[in-house]
Amino acid sequence: MTPVVQLKAVTREFAGTAAVREVDLTVTRGQFVALLGPSGCGKTTTLRMIAGYLQPTSGTILLEGRDATRLPPERRNIGMVFQSYALFPHMTVAKNVAFGLQMRKVPAAQIRTRVHEALDLVGLAHLADRRPQQLSGGQQQRVALARAIAARPAVLLLDEPLSNLDARLRVQMRQELLRIQRETGITAILVTHDQEEALELADSMVILDRGRVVQQGHPREVFRAPRTRFVAEFLGYENFLDLPGRGRITIRPEHVDVVEHDAAPPAGGESVTGTVAAVRFRGTDCVVTVDVGGQNVLATTTNDSLRAGSPVRLFLPLDRAISLTGTDSVPGDGGQGTPSLQHQQESPA
Amino acid sequence: MRRRPVLWGLAALALLFLLGPILLMVPVAFSSGDTIEFPPPGLSTRWFEQALDYQPFLDALRTSLLVAGGATLLALLIGVPATLVIQRYRFPGRKAIETLFLSPVIVPELVLGFALFQQLMVTLRITALGALLIGHTVLLLPYAVRVTGASLAMSDPALEEAARGLGAGPVRAFFRITLPVMTPGIVAASVLSLLTSFNNVPLSLLLTGPGMSTLPVEMLRYVEFSFDPVVAAVSTLLLGITVVVALVTERLVGFNKVFSQ
Repeated sequence: MTPVVQLKAVTREFAGTAAVREVDLTVTRGQFVALLGPSGCGKTTTLRMIAGYLQPTSGTILLEGRDATRLPPERRNIGMVFQSYALFPHMTVAKNVAFGLQMRKVPAAQIRTRVHEALDLVGLAHLADRRPQQLSGGQQQRVALARAIAARPAVLLLDEPLSNLDARLRVQMRQELLRIQRETGITAILVTHDQEEALELADSMVILDRGRVVQQGHPREVFRAPRTRFVAEFLGYENFLDLPGRGRITIRPEHVDVVEHDAAPPAGGESVTGTVAAVRFRGTDCVVTVDVGGQNVLATTTNDSLRAGSPVRLFLPLDRAISLTGTDSVPGDGGQGTPSLQHQQESPA
Repeated sequence: MRRRPVLWGLAALALLFLLGPILLMVPVAFSSGDTIEFPPPGLSTRWFEQALDYQPFLDALRTSLLVAGGATLLALLIGVPATLVIQRYRFPGRKAIETLFLSPVIVPELVLGFALFQQLMVTLRITALGALLIGHTVLLLPYAVRVTGASLAMSDPALEEAARGLGAGPVRAFFRITLPVMTPGIVAASVLSLLTSFNNVPLSLLLTGPGMSTLPVEMLRYVEFSFDPVVAAVSTLLLGITVVVALVTERLVGFNKVFSQ
């Protein structure tokens, strides 16, 4: 089957600096792909190149098997939802949705039914005659979605579509987005900096760092086995340890066992000793921060007798520890080993 | 509102200060007397009749309307594309070009008028009407660029991209989306430009010639020699026209939209 979207070694430079470097990407029909990364990682630049709003400096973009690298957006058969929605303020909701159909010269009678269908799909058929300014943010978002899919484009491009909604609505809209994508079977590419959004929506996740794809795969796979510290941190892992003979590992706080300082280490894992630096009491359990040779390790425990300064032993079950085999360094970037903390801070929460 | 008597008192004073002289002029226009005096000895419409019979005023009015309309059109034809380029593209010298378009506001109008007089009428021997048109176009350009620019700056730059993505080519995206979105700004700029040109004296004073004069200049000339209420009558007519323009604009696009930009 021909991929709907295919990027081959796509690079985009701005004033000599590469925002996207040698990105390869294949999106097959019906797939929901999330481009995930902190701000400045190149995800939006990549999406804009797929849409045709930006030209790659080098590389090839294929849409439905045809070379579209130099095609203008109006000839690409895409549907884009913008972060700002970009609804036409001088047109009603129905006219907004009809616009793409008119441009594609769909007969008027058919336009009416398809506008209705699209608005029905997002649950806004009753607001067809309103102006965008009269709608709430969530409703505008739905109209933008209806407008993008009404003409049945080959691919739906979503540029941080939920970032302007409040937290509760955002979570609701995720499910809504997923339902619409499943119902229409449309191929979709989502750009987001929200890992939860990507994990929940996508069936393929592409994580970008400084213009490069650092890991891609099914969200469950990527979440279970992040390859580098950057990916792990981005997905919410907090513990990073260099174990002699095992290299760098990460492990979730709830999988770390806090045992007596002088207890014999159980089999099937590594154990390290350290000093409790801080205790956060949460009711049923505590989160302790343990200083292990200068590195902080978080662990949850039901032992509420621990105090700052207590010596403890931490047991790390090997079946829970994830080895980070990849390095975060990017060739030509000075080869920094662990620059990821910086990245975490850059990413909007 | 009752809690701020001082503020409201000041506002009322300011309004009186602004409107007072204008309101006094209206009864004078309806005077039956032979000179400007207040209160008028009696009421009549004879000065209106006389004003509308006075050929130089009628000629000047025609010139004024022609210049205001023509210059507004020219200023928009130059200003709107300039605004689009300035607002939508990033290129070296962008700021300089924007400043250049706004500079006629800073240069004293008499200086501008004299420079244009020298260049256009003396050196290039352009007629007074041509000079007036060119001069007023220069005068109006800042308004055209500024007001349409403000309305464009407030609109979402992604609108055009959205239209392109939905299958509209650049020309169609412009006429179906960008231009309609700019329309309130263009209407505002037109109203402002028409009134600015119509009311202008300093520039017109230098660019008018024999047999070619704008209404404000002709009125100025008239009051130099006569002291009868004809000018008050003309002023009242102009006031009426301005109010009508304002009301129509309010109806069409809303004043807030026009002047808060």
